[in-house]
Amino acid sequence: MRPLDPRLLRYASAARRFLVAGSLISLLQAVVTVAFAWFLSQSIAGAIDGRPLPQIAAMIAWLALVTILRAGLVWSQEVVATRGAAAVKSQLRGQVMRAVAERGPDWLATRKDAAVATVVTTGLDALDNYFARYIPQLLLTVIATPVLVAVMLWHDLPSGITVIVALPLIPVFMVLIGWATQAVQRRQWESMQRLGAGFLDLVGGLGTLKIFGREHRQSTRMRAVTEDYRQRTMAVLRVSFLSGFVLELAASLSVALVAVSIGLRLVDGQLLLATGLFVLLLAPEAFLPIRNVGTQFHAAADGVAAAEEVFEILDAPVTPDALEAPSAADARAVRGLRGALQLENVSVQRGTDLVLDGFDAVFRPGELSVLSGPSGVGKSSLVAALQGFLPFDGRLSLGGEPVSAADRREWLAWAGQQPGLFGGTVADNVVLGERSVDSAVLARALDWAGAASLDPEIRLDVNGSGLSGGQAQRVAAARAIYRSQVRDCGVVVFDEPSSALDEHSELALIDGLQRLADQGRVVIVVSHRPAMLVRADHVVRLGRILRSEEDNRVVA
Amino acid sequence: MSSPDVASVLRLALPSARRFLPGLVAGVASAACAVALLAASAWLITRAAEQPPILFLSMAVVGVRAFALGRSALRYLERLSSHDAAFRQLAELRVGVLSRLIPLAPAGLGSIGRGDLLTRLVKDVDDLQDLPLRVVQPLVSSGILVMGSVVGVWLIFPAAGATLAVCLLAAGAVGMVSAAAISARSERELAPLRGALTNEVLEITENLGVLVAFGALDDRLATLDEIDGRLRRATIRRSLGFGVQAGVTSLFAGAATVAALAFGTPALGTPGGLHGPAFAVIVLIPLAVFEVFGMVAPALGAWRMVCSSAERVATAVPTDIPAEIPIERHDDRVRADADADAAADGVGVGLEPALELSDLSVRWPGVSLPAVAGVSLRLAAGDRVHLAGPSGAGKSTLANALVRFVEYSGSYRLGGVEARELPQSEVRRVVGLCEQRPWLFDDSIRQNLLFARDTATDAELLAMLDRVGLAEWADARGGLDARVGERGALVSGGQAQRIALARALLAEFPVLVVDEPTANVDADRGDALVRDILAAAGPERAVLLISHTPVPEELITKRLTLAAPAPAP
Repeated sequence: MRPLDPRLLRYASAARRFLVAGSLISLLQAVVTVAFAWFLSQSIAGAIDGRPLPQIAAMIAWLALVTILRAGLVWSQEVVATRGAAAVKSQLRGQVMRAVAERGPDWLATRKDAAVATVVTTGLDALDNYFARYIPQLLLTVIATPVLVAVMLWHDLPSGITVIVALPLIPVFMVLIGWATQAVQRRQWESMQRLGAGFLDLVGGLGTLKIFGREHRQSTRMRAVTEDYRQRTMAVLRVSFLSGFVLELAASLSVALVAVSIGLRLVDGQLLLATGLFVLLLAPEAFLPIRNVGTQFHAAADGVAAAEEVFEILDAPVTPDALEAPSAADARAVRGLRGALQLENVSVQRGTDLVLDGFDAVFRPGELSVLSGPSGVGKSSLVAALQGFLPFDGRLSLGGEPVSAADRREWLAWAGQQPGLFGGTVADNVVLGERSVDSAVLARALDWAGAASLDPEIRLDVNGSGLSGGQAQRVAAARAIYRSQVRDCGVVVFDEPSSALDEHSELALIDGLQRLADQGRVVIVVSHRPAMLVRADHVVRLGRILRSEEDNRVVA
Repeated sequence: MSSPDVASVLRLALPSARRFLPGLVAGVASAACAVALLAASAWLITRAAEQPPILFLSMAVVGVRAFALGRSALRYLERLSSHDAAFRQLAELRVGVLSRLIPLAPAGLGSIGRGDLLTRLVKDVDDLQDLPLRVVQPLVSSGILVMGSVVGVWLIFPAAGATLAVCLLAAGAVGMVSAAAISARSERELAPLRGALTNEVLEITENLGVLVAFGALDDRLATLDEIDGRLRRATIRRSLGFGVQAGVTSLFAGAATVAALAFGTPALGTPGGLHGPAFAVIVLIPLAVFEVFGMVAPALGAWRMVCSSAERVATAVPTDIPAEIPIERHDDRVRADADADAAADGVGVGLEPALELSDLSVRWPGVSLPAVAGVSLRLAAGDRVHLAGPSGAGKSTLANALVRFVEYSGSYRLGGVEARELPQSEVRRVVGLCEQRPWLFDDSIRQNLLFARDTATDAELLAMLDRVGLAEWADARGGLDARVGERGALVSGGQAQRIALARALLAEFPVLVVDEPTANVDADRGDALVRDILAAAGPERAVLLISHTPVPEELITKRLTLAAPAPAP
């Protein structure tokens, strides 16, 4: 693990500012630490020499002042860290969300790593401790420790040398122990994770276990699993805690060595009491930051892991096919354009797989066209390509006019397989992307989608929760219908619009689709439902499976 | 939520004194060594400055070295034995929570029984380990040590003991008050903003395609930036409070030192007063004591986390079972265990009709209106009944009532006996359920089948996989040893349904309820799956197929349609 990822500084300018401020505070902390030890040792030695209180009062006053300064620096270090973390998180979050928007829904859907939403919310919170606990100690190690060691060398060479010899031992031993234990840990890690997750697996499956009458045997099993977990974890911990042990041992033994050597030289009169005390007070301070770096290792690892997930997203290549908004000129040219949608020699590639090869089809206006075929044949990929979410080769024309990537949002209205609803009212969802609301068209859109009985003022929660699957599907259909009406789109596409509908609602929706076609639009429905096929004017079957997706499909 | 519930959850997490004590003793001793190291060093140096014969110093030299070694070695021992005790307690904790979960699951858990909330609950239970490790251990050991040090300093020089105590109390009080104020404000100001931000991010990422297609993405990103900015500004505004605790601790550590200097200096060398080495010790000890005192703040932070975990666990797993969840009487359990292997001899098998409902109503816990009401149905061997109706009509509720996960009113007879009069385990020996989202355990296919009938041979299991149409699939993955992944992640929705069906067939339930088998299956594969399920069930079994999508007429013997629920008042 690198202590500090340079990409963090590249992507987040706030991190650079934080490092500068943190370094400055660390330097001041070193100065204050030296001053505190100096005034304290001078006061003690002065008092022991028999000087009365008034004579050392000035020294004690300085000590009090330094104490206040020290507290102020400790406080400002935390304030700066909190602000730095908040600013860096905000910057990274904004960049990730823009990167995701740029790469498009298909990239998002095929990403295998942790969900983007988790990465930019709770994932980034790991940076809080990274900035508040780890980085300040790292800065102190780099900046303050050398200052303290230099001061010790200057005042008492033998003590300084002791510390210089002992300090590098800490990282060396930690690395050695790390090497020695890595193999053991890696072997244990996977089985530990599994045993740890066993409880979740059991609790989640409790209903299933009850169905099969197995619930009462689980306590014994859980005890055995947890005991196994304990034994394996302890085997790992016995070794992992060794690095903490070495860390503390090196620090406290060095302090002891310094103390004893000072003591022996004081007896011989080679050293002044004030100097001895001064060096004794500095010795543990020299070790403190590096000890803290060691104990904050987990905070660091979590923070680095969170940042790495962010960088992976930011460094991912952008597909060249742009998702840019249509230019005003293009929009005027295709708005209201009517006629047949013609696909010539269309090939669609998804990742490295060719999902559609040389596909030709004509969808005529005024007809209800149904696109049908088994899973994995490329129906959804074709729809994604029409929308510009997937790059494709071939020619696409509407009413004889070639239509392009940039303007498709003006001639194409669409409802996807997932309803994709948002928090807000039903009406808000239906008029998505439009600045003004035409309530007559809104009512018509809901009616044609078979959702006339749904009150447009019903409020939905986040992601449209609060509606049943069938209701959500009809609101999504109404949204495509609304857009086709207000933007006068020549083509309307519905992907599996009735998969969650009962027979009655499905028939109402089909009637609405028919009316949409009667307006002279191209209506394409991806569906296999018998009711839909019966009412279709035109059925396009995609038959040739280029690659079966079933074998390695992963369903979450 | 009642506090006795929280207290009982917290008690589950605490190891017994016998297990807890070794770690605590090592912890106190290690902290004592840290303080003693500084005290002995200070004494050694100031005494040496008086240039006594070196013999007088040898004890201190040995002490300094011993304390240095002891501090790190004892700390290592402390961490090992306290972790060991916490892990041993984890078994008790998990089993304790499990025994409360069993009567409630799955219906009594509501939405907690699923997805992220379930993960949260399980994580909360495991996080309760922090109670002994990160709360009690540091609080008790630093408490003992801090008090011991105050007494020690008091014995040397009462004024210094008193100022040390005052400074510790002041640092503790200011720290606690500021921490409480910060966390309360954080709860009030930041939590809603964080929630809003998470919702916004979720909506954008989950519906990115929709936002792009409808040209609404830029608006949403602008809204996100706006919420993000408010959260950032609120955090920054609040940041001034964050360092207060650390700053105050540092301030009072210095204050205690300064006070000891100021009060100790006049007493130096006076008769009955202080001599040099003792003076150095009382001036320097506060520095080490405050370092130990520094463990208190993180422990209090951990305490707040543990408390909220315990509250969530207590809320999710209440000790009183709601009236809508049928309670299994203890004697039932004894009986159930006694004749666990006499599975097929249960009640109702072979009698006609196997299952009879009349005017059945079911209500969920905490809901006043019944989810389903007035259902009547007769089901005999060989019947294939399609239970239809729109979503929300109570179809799955009915399924839950049939396996006695929820209580019913009206009549539900199995082989002529009222189901309420039967032990739950016997009802479930007759009526089996293939859940809408079948739970697959993170194990091999074999283990996922075996728990339905643990005497089954591999040949029987393979034959069953063949019957549900999974023979080729299992073969391609290396047979029964193939793993299904965490929560069945390596298995598609349709395959999971087929495995669940194979499980149910192995258990030989005379009545099988199949709840929405096509819900998580590609639309065009649904019909084939339904066809296969009904064929595999065989003629000797009654099947109640729940589906809101149409089922081909020729596959079923009867259809029962539940009406849409009445609109909420």
